This record gives sequence, C-alpha cells and structure tokens, in this order.
Amino acid sequence: MKTPFSKKLSSFISLGAIALLVGLQPGCKQGTDPSAPFDISKIDTVLTGTVDAELTEAPNVPKPLTYTSPKRVKVTLKVIEKVMNISDSTQYTFWTFGGHVPGNFIRVRQGDLVDFTLINSEDSKVSHNIDLHAVTGPGGGAEASNTSPGQSTNFQFRALHPGVFVYHCATAPVPLHIANGMYGLILVEPQSGMPKVDKEYYVMQGDFYTKGKYGAAGLQDFDEDKALAENPDYVLFNGKVRALVGQGALTAKTGETVRLYVGNGGPNMVSSFHVIGEIFDKVYTEAGSSINTGVQTTLIPAGGATIVDMKAEVPGTYLLVDHSIFRAFNKGAIGQLKITGDENPSVFKKLK
Amino acid sequence: MKHFLILIFTLLTALSAVAQSVSTEKKMVRIPAGIYTPFFKLPGTEPTPMPAFLMDETAVTNAEFLEFVKANPQWRRSKVSKLLADTNYLKYWKSDLEIGEKNKELYNSPVVYVSWFAAKAYAQWKGKRLPTVAEWEYAGTAPLVNSREGTLTSYILNWYSKPNPKVLPNIKSTYKNTFGLFDMHGLIWEWTFDFNSFIKSGDSRANTTDELQLFCASSTLYVNNKSDYASFLRFSYRGSLKGNFCIANLGFRCVKDLK
Amino acid sequence: MKYHLLLFAISALSLAACNNGKQSAFTGDVVSTAAPVGTIPEESIYNLTDTFTTQDNKTIQLKDFSGKPTVMVMIFTHCDYACPRLTADVKELEGRLGKNADKVNFVLTSFDAERDFPDQLAKYKKDMKLDDNFTLLHGSDDAVRTLSVLLNVQYQKNQDGNFSHSNVITVLDPSGNLIYQKEGIQANHDETLKKLNELLKG
Ligand SMILES: [Cu+2]
Repeated sequence: MKTPFSKKLSSFISLGAIALLVGLQPGCKQGTDPSAPFDISKIDTVLTGTVDAELTEAPNVPKPLTYTSPKRVKVTLKVIEKVMNISDSTQYTFWTFGGHVPGNFIRVRQGDLVDFTLINSEDSKVSHNIDLHAVTGPGGGAEASNTSPGQSTNFQFRALHPGVFVYHCATAPVPLHIANGMYGLILVEPQSGMPKVDKEYYVMQGDFYTKGKYGAAGLQDFDEDKALAENPDYVLFNGKVRALVGQGALTAKTGETVRLYVGNGGPNMVSSFHVIGEIFDKVYTEAGSSINTGVQTTLIPAGGATIVDMKAEVPGTYLLVDHSIFRAFNKGAIGQLKITGDENPSVFKKLK
Repeated sequence: MKHFLILIFTLLTALSAVAQSVSTEKKMVRIPAGIYTPFFKLPGTEPTPMPAFLMDETAVTNAEFLEFVKANPQWRRSKVSKLLADTNYLKYWKSDLEIGEKNKELYNSPVVYVSWFAAKAYAQWKGKRLPTVAEWEYAGTAPLVNSREGTLTSYILNWYSKPNPKVLPNIKSTYKNTFGLFDMHGLIWEWTFDFNSFIKSGDSRANTTDELQLFCASSTLYVNNKSDYASFLRFSYRGSLKGNFCIANLGFRCVKDLK
Repeated sequence: MKYHLLLFAISALSLAACNNGKQSAFTGDVVSTAAPVGTIPEESIYNLTDTFTTQDNKTIQLKDFSGKPTVMVMIFTHCDYACPRLTADVKELEGRLGKNADKVNFVLTSFDAERDFPDQLAKYKKDMKLDDNFTLLHGSDDAVRTLSVLLNVQYQKNQDGNFSHSNVITVLDPSGNLIYQKEGIQANHDETLKKLNELLKG
C-alpha cells in the first residue's frame, strides 16, 4: 500500500512512509530526498537573502512561497487588546495578534531563519509573549518574548519541521490569554513546497466564556468560573459568530481543489471538524507528516491543527462544523463553503 | 525660665512649620503587621511575618511629580539619561516643567511613563522608598471596604476586561481597601523596588527539574491559588519590565519604615 | 566640636536628600562635567554613582573599572551550587583569554549585603583561587539592586538568608557599555570570548 500511495503524494509528506522506505532500502541515497526534514544536518541552512513574511488576516492565507533556498524571514506581529463584536449584539475585549482573532497567518519555508519581533501596543493593559509550536527552543519563544506594553522583543529560530503549527500567547495566566483570543497559525512549508491546490483558506476554532449567555447584549466580561468548568458560551470559527457565514463564507468553483488550514486555539474544546456534504480527500493528520485519505470528520486537539484538502465537485453551500453538534447549533461553531459552477448530476442529483 | 519659654516658643514655631509642610505632604497609611503569604510557593518563600509600615494613600500624581522634576533638573525630560529612562519618559507632558493645559484633568491622576530609576529617585527625594514586592502584595491583598463592589479578584478581572480609558482617571477614583489605601488595583500598575526578583529557576541551585517558568503551565504547580488570575497577571507584568521602561499604565507609590 | 561637625554633615546630607535628590543612585549630572574620568557615555553602567567595597576594603565606584573590558557577574559566597560554578565559568573564560587576561577586569558583585563583607569576599577569592584580575564587591542593598536592574539579573532573598538568582555573565566595553550577555551555568562561552577578543583588538 505504501508504494502507490507515496507516489501519489508530492513531497510534504508521509515521513513515516519515507522513513520506512529508507529503512528498507539501506542502499538508497541519503540526503537527496528534499523532504527528509528532521535531521538538521540534512536541512539546507545557508541563507540567501532576507524577506519580509507576508501576513494575512483569516480566512486568507499568504501566497505559496516561490523561493527554493532558505532565507532570513522577518516577521513582526503586534499584540492589540481591543473591543470587537463576538456576535452581532455582543462585544468582548479580545487580546489579539494583529488586531483580529485568529492572529495573522504566517508562512515560512523549512530551513528559513525566522527573525521574529513581537510588539505589544502602547495601550495594552498587560504583558504578552508568544509560543510558536513551530519553534525548537525554550518555551517556543515565550521565554524570550515577554513584552511590556509599548515595548518589543526579538528572537530568532530555525524552522526545522514542516507542517502547520499553532502559535499562542503563553503569558501567565495562560488560559486567560488564550481564552481572550491569543492564537493563530504558522505554516512551515517543506523544502519542496506544498502540493498545489486552487484555493487555500485559514480557519481557526476557539471557545469563549462570558458573564452573559450566548448573544447577551453589550460588552461582556470574561467568566473565570465557566472557563474552569470548560463550559463555553461560544465555540467559534475565526472569532465571531457568523464570521464564515453569508458575506464571510469561503468560496470555490466546481472542479477546484480547496485546502483548509484549520487550527484549534481552545483553550478547552477539542474539535470534531467536519464539512457537511464533503469528504476530505486528504487529511494531514494533526498537521504532521502522515496523510490520511477519505476522512469524514477529523479531530483537532486544542493547541493543534490540521490540513484538509477536498475537491469541489457539486455546487451548493457546505457547512463547516464542530460535529460536537450542540456547539454548531447553539454556540456558533458553524461556517459556510459556497461552491458555485455547473451541476454535476453524475455525482449528485435531486430526484423529485 | 525666660530662656525656657523662648525655647518652648521656638520649638512650637518649628513644630507648626513642620506641621504646615506636612499638611501639604501626601497622606501615608499605616499598614498593620501581619503574615505575608507569597503568591509563588518556592523553597524559602513560606509565609513570613510582615512588620507594620507606612504607605502612600494613593499613587504619586502628575502634580506631585512635577515638584520633583522642578527640584531635580537631571530628571527633566530633556535631560534624563537614556540609561535611566527610555524615550517615552513623561512623553505626554507639554514640556519639561509643564504638564500642560491639555492635560488639566491629569494633575490629580497618577504619573505614568516613569522609569523605575525615576520612581526610586522620587522616593528618595521624599525621604521614602519604593515598596518591595512583598510589601506591595501584602498591602494590595486587603479587600474592598465596600464589599458590594465584589471580591478583589473579580474587581481586578473586570478592570482589564475593559479597554484603557482615553484619559487616565484621577486618584481615589476606584476603590478603597480595608487598610485605607486607594486604587491598589484598577487604575494603574505600580513599580516595586525588587520588581526583578522573579526567578525563573526555583532555587539558587538552578536545578533544571524545578525550574519555575512563568510562561508555561508549570508555574501553577507553585502558586498559592491557581485561580488567582489577577496575581498571575501582576507577576507576568513585572517579569516583562526593565528598569528604564516608561509605560502608559505604570506609575508608583512610596512607603516608609515606621520608626 | 567634632560632634557638631558631624551633626552639620548629617543635616547637610539630609537636606540634600530632601531638596535635590543628590542621594539618589543617579544624579544624572554624571554625563556632564561631574565625572572625573573623561566622559562616560550616556548608556554606560558606569553612570552608577553608588560606592562599593572591594575584598581589600577599598571603596570604589564602578567607573573605576573603565579603561579595560570588564566581565561582570553577581553571586553570593554562601551559595553552594550555582555561584561556585558561575565563578568557575568566569575563571575558565579568563584561562581561555591567555595572556590577554590581564587586560580584562573580572568583577563579582555579591547579592549578600549582610554577610559578604570584605573579609568574607577575600576568603572566597582565596578559596576559589581567583587571581588579581578579579575584584569582588560588597554594596548596599540599594546599590546591588540597582546594579542587578542594569545587568538584567533577577534575584530574591529567601528567609534562610540565601538568594534565588539568575546566572548571567555580562561583558562591558572599556566605557561601561553593555556589549553582550550570556545566561546559564556551564554555558557555551565561545561568543563571550569572541566579544572580549574583539574589544581587546579594538
Ligand atoms: Cu497574551
């Protein structure tokens, strides 16, 4: 099963499979496989220039990287504490990376040296830092980045492992910072790049705890008791009820391949991520190197992420949900993928 | 006898002069002796007796700090050393010696955008000193006089659930605690003498197995009350500071030993 | 008469303290003509005007170390784990400098104002077999705290009289500007050595 399967995959890649193949064929050339990611000595680390990372606001994803050798990549994220709508009638004081929830999407390449600057806005009330799960180093960068209001910190790390990783604030009390929306995703493309698709989107789930019930009007305070009881009022995609509904819906045309980078900031809930009416052609399980195919629902742990690819075959509106279904119906965990284009009766047709 | 009367008279005059100058002095509150229980429970930080001391009733105001700057030219904005105060030092004042017409409402608000060095110099100029973390925390844990305003923790959490106000409110605009101190929480953060006393490793042996790391969940293994989010916030905040930082919501108040 | 002079001196001092903050750790004048040793750059740690006492009972200010690159650490002599190792790290660094070691100051300042008086510092110096490139300093609580803030060293006194502290080796240039810092015990000091050698070439 491994051989035809791995042929199909371009190289992001089932590391397990490759390790197995390499193990089985001791004579095969080492170091030539561009996807062998975990041995730093095999990663090209010679830098060829400096670039500023493109940062995007969800649901957008930065363009695929076109460079083919490691660079120094400058990333600057600004922490902003601000009141935003959590639903049309409800406001909440979010703590954000970049002014929105989730934080900016960061895209780098395996082998890049990331020069990371964290700015904390002058009118922030508290200190913040960042722990990127893509970092190999103390606290994922948190130890080097505890930043006072109005100040900035700077550290660098080598992107060793490909995959999409959660980043989050890890300032004590960590649960509070995360519950207020301090998380986002960083994609480390493998040296050979991600397999091409037609559309890429950024979705991140999070749970919120407010003094008032779901939808209660006005500015709502954080509710520590509910958070401790893991009883959220809101479970949301992209930080707001209906963020991915109507005007905000994701779109694709029939025949296109759609990739979702889906993270889960938590702080508490594990997501049973499902798109109603679709089957994921590929799931990069837990955003690691093994690829599963033909998946209906995939688990995304709090503080974890996944990558799902699916082909848009039949026009219509498809719902993204956390299939722990009360969350979708009552707490906001619902989004839309609108597929337009020609009907495809050989796949789906309504009969009377 | 005559001499004696003159002496008495002189003394009285002197005393009243002292009394007068004291009357314009900031009111200090006597913080009673007790037991201080540190938030982080580490080897060597068990509950300890805290002697009584005096603490400023409120944070130092802009008007008060202006007097200091007038008397100490080296602490004027244009003169201050970058080692001792970053470029944000008193940046909202109109000039070196003017808080400014625009900032009229701020005369009685806490002075902010002041460095640790500046705060310490002010305290020394007043014959006082900055409180230690222990003193500040001990004084700050006293509950609200008016308990209908809620518990201390909920009061503080509600403070940062709201965005910063456009104009920093005056002193005494929040709550009074049972020691008689105003605004210990809910208005600004305050400098402490040993703000840099937070240690990442649990004890001086720097044993990696008991490193206390504020940025990760392991820190909760060592605290008094895991749900005291307000205390976590203060310790994290202190841990992010350097001595020359001047920050929008960071001011100070002074303490004094009892004779 | 002596007594009166003393009184006068004390009241003058206290007046100064009340009126113009001359007792504060930093008068700020130091950047102007007040500094006798040429000009100290504005961000130099040598602007600290507090006095310290050496293991030989000499009263000094930090600016007395100007003219040579300086390696600074903070320790206390009753420490049974971290400080001896940190001191050994500095000694090893000195060894790696070879002949150049004489062109560098190695300064160990104690956290322990209550126990590390000059005699004790002299004993530690002898026990640790530190040569004369090393100076050990005792200072007031206030002076030591101020230095720790400038050197980004964290410390706290525990009830048993010992200290919890971070372990940081700092390199200062001959004017007292902070050039490089390395945290940790038995850390890799290749970069520290490189910075010192650059300063010596310098
Ligand atoms: Cu944060």
